[in-house]
Amino acid sequence: MPAVQETIERVRKIDVDQYKYGFESIIEVDKAPKGLSEDIIRFISAKKDEPDWMLEWRLGAYRRWLTLEEPTWARVDYPRIDFQDLYYYAAPKSQSGPKSLDEVDPEILKVYEKLGIPLKEQEILAGVRKEPNGEDVEAGDNVYKSGRVAVDAVFDSISVVTTFKEELAKAGVIFCSISEAIREHPELVKKYLGSVVPVTDNFYATLNSAVFTDGSFVFVPKGVRCPMELSTYFRINEKNTGQFERTLIIAEEGAYVSYLEGCTAPQRDENQLHAAVVELIALDDAEIKYSTVQNWYPGDAQGKGGIYNFVTKRGDCRGDRSKISWTQVETGSAITWKYPSCILRGDDSQGNFYSIAVSNGYQQVDSGTKMLHLGKNTKSRIISKGIAAGFSQNTYRGQVNVHRKAENARNFTNCDSLLIGDRCGAHTVPYIEAKNSSAKLEHEATTSKISEDQKFYVMQRGIPEEEAVALIVNGFVKDVIQELPMEFAVEAQKLIGISLEGSVG
Amino acid sequence: MNMHATPQRTQAETALVEAFAARLSELPGDGAVMVKRDDAIEAIKDGLPTRRVEAWHYTDLRRLLTSVPDHDPTANPKPLVPVIEGSEVLSLLNGVVRGKAPALDGVTFQNLSDKLTDGSFAQALDPLDADDAIGFLNTAFVSDGWFVDIAPGAKIEAPIELQNLQAGGQTHVRLPVRVGAGARATIVERQAGSGAALASSVSNLSVGDGADVVWLIVQEQPETATHLAQFNAELGKDSRLTLFVMNAGGKLVRQEIRVKVAGAGADFQLRGVNLLAGDGHTDVTMVLDHAAANTGSRELVRNVVTGKARGVFQGRINVHQLAQKTDAKMACNTLLLSDDAEFSTKPELEIFADDVQCGHGATVTEIDRSHLFYLMARGIDEKTARGLLVKAFVASVIEELDNEALVDALEAKLDTWFAEHG
Repeated sequence: MPAVQETIERVRKIDVDQYKYGFESIIEVDKAPKGLSEDIIRFISAKKDEPDWMLEWRLGAYRRWLTLEEPTWARVDYPRIDFQDLYYYAAPKSQSGPKSLDEVDPEILKVYEKLGIPLKEQEILAGVRKEPNGEDVEAGDNVYKSGRVAVDAVFDSISVVTTFKEELAKAGVIFCSISEAIREHPELVKKYLGSVVPVTDNFYATLNSAVFTDGSFVFVPKGVRCPMELSTYFRINEKNTGQFERTLIIAEEGAYVSYLEGCTAPQRDENQLHAAVVELIALDDAEIKYSTVQNWYPGDAQGKGGIYNFVTKRGDCRGDRSKISWTQVETGSAITWKYPSCILRGDDSQGNFYSIAVSNGYQQVDSGTKMLHLGKNTKSRIISKGIAAGFSQNTYRGQVNVHRKAENARNFTNCDSLLIGDRCGAHTVPYIEAKNSSAKLEHEATTSKISEDQKFYVMQRGIPEEEAVALIVNGFVKDVIQELPMEFAVEAQKLIGISLEGSVG
Repeated sequence: MNMHATPQRTQAETALVEAFAARLSELPGDGAVMVKRDDAIEAIKDGLPTRRVEAWHYTDLRRLLTSVPDHDPTANPKPLVPVIEGSEVLSLLNGVVRGKAPALDGVTFQNLSDKLTDGSFAQALDPLDADDAIGFLNTAFVSDGWFVDIAPGAKIEAPIELQNLQAGGQTHVRLPVRVGAGARATIVERQAGSGAALASSVSNLSVGDGADVVWLIVQEQPETATHLAQFNAELGKDSRLTLFVMNAGGKLVRQEIRVKVAGAGADFQLRGVNLLAGDGHTDVTMVLDHAAANTGSRELVRNVVTGKARGVFQGRINVHQLAQKTDAKMACNTLLLSDDAEFSTKPELEIFADDVQCGHGATVTEIDRSHLFYLMARGIDEKTARGLLVKAFVASVIEELDNEALVDALEAKLDTWFAEHG
């Protein structure tokens, strides 16, 4: 296929150094000593001013974790992680619970500014953003610049600021950092934390339960439709620091919330660990949409550095007619190990998973979903698009399980992979398990390269090759992009473009 | 054989180790073969695979293999009428060759026990990998088999039926078959019996350049038997293999299919029909390697599961980096007919070449109610209508076989099964 030879050459040359969020900020930090022990956990808990029950919960998890072995079943390959060689807590020093933005370290604000995430509400409301030097700049197509989105900004181990809190409070929505929730709303946290991803769930989730430092907490009460998009922006800045975030989202009866998360990290030679746990709970008739644009530093062209992203995300459709949708655009991280899942417990509940996973350089992605059908008339839909380039390995691993009592369960799964270059690998590993005869499960998967026919068809209409490839790739991922909130979709499309620069224009 | 050290041997593991000690002196083999047998039993001593071993994810052999009968030297199964009329029949009764091989132009038959005794078969006894439990079990205990060598260019018209029959106890056989370049043959592997046996059978087929082979596996063990089988094949340049597998019996069945499409331009076709009833557990696991350019494959597996039966289909297609222009498609369709029936499937694609077209599809459903309604609206009672639809569902796989005698023979098998379980 000489026609794409040029493309392949360019893909090979792609430096992941094009990672545009790779800058590092010098900010004074407060760190726990290196390593992991009960003392470190007590330190974290004390730093966060946590009640005793929380500390006990963490210690229980830690003791459990000591008995667990790191899982090896995923198709990822990395040197053993020395869990004693990490910092488990790093917080910007000036941060002792700022009352307002003015108290936040200006350096941190600059970081978010650089990332294009405004934390100053009034400016967002005005639709115009002021540069530090006072010049007005037009609001771009960055969702954070243009939209009214409440943001919880998490910097290393802690949440630095949450915007639009008051406006949300008027609607009855609680949106704050999880540390704050543990202090302010212990009854809710106690009731729901660990109820979807139990402390004992898996190696990384248990580690997270022991040492999680921050993350977001969302509670949407009965009948409330959350008035704006909620968002968390994660940034790992410090060296050798693990980020362990914990997010808990609860939608009561009939509530609706749409939540987005984004993440970046500086370019470094060593690998950094990110082990998050996200729990979603949807009661009767509630709906949660959870979108992720994951853009952690993927490592350089030789595969050096990058984030190890070991994440446990699970949604529990606890109530009847509840609905949970996961949408993810995965372009970053050296290693991704992530399976956002839905437990379809309520009758007539519905789970969706839409995913685009792009891998380039030496990235390794092992991602997919689990749909567990427990209730009657439950439905699930899985659309996964994998694009592998360079020397990367891209695996879809998913499970659809229909329980014996789950009458009339329906699943449709489609996972397609696109290969760009002959040094990368694309793999599909679905597990389909039916224990009820009324189940209707459909699964289809394909792997191919961009066909010469498709390309010819587009080029024949006068579109140059690179653009033709871009167009076809856009078409390839369209089903998933459509599921993202509109402004975010533009971002995501661009991100895919950057990740594959040289191959898709 | 698996990494998870098992602290205590199960009853079945202990029985196997004891059986080995008891039978060792009567098993054929020279020094080299005996070393392989020892290595194999050592692997079994480490524990049978559990569901933690990915290749055995849905068949926890350690838990499911509950009893191991002793070898019964008096067991005396009776030869069966061949599946296809006019076949040349070669029998293996209670694990040993019985009767004389027919004289057939272009084909040499040898007893495997001779090749074990003189050591010429020792190398072929190596396990495929560390989780090759069937290979280990078979290597430790293999007593006999037919070695079939088809000369290059030979066109063998009459099907050759290899009957492996048991009447209780333990039987362990191997069926190595070499088909020379440009040759053509149809081979039926018949696995049946009447007792609560533990049977293992390993077939090794080598298909020469340009050869064309049709291989049928017809497994009709009784509902009390444990049947652990492996079919290994390697395809030469521009060769063609059509493998048809029918499973219609057994209490615990694992049929492994490992095919390496090693020669450019070769083509592999798999058609499978699994008819699962009673409370049996049947696992068909395929690993297909496309290791050369311009190769093709189609796999179509249809399962009907009723009663309390559990079925498994794992199918993995590996496309090696050199295997550009591979065209591989796999489909696995399942009909669940009863509330207690279960089916799990894991179709995998593992792809390292970019210029390929690969896909798989899998469905699990019940009988389409609108189809049922259509038939019933025409005065056909529900039971008959369901029977028609189920039969049509699997018959479409059989009808694709381009051989009238074969299609008739298999449809007769279908009818027998439906008469009993439909």
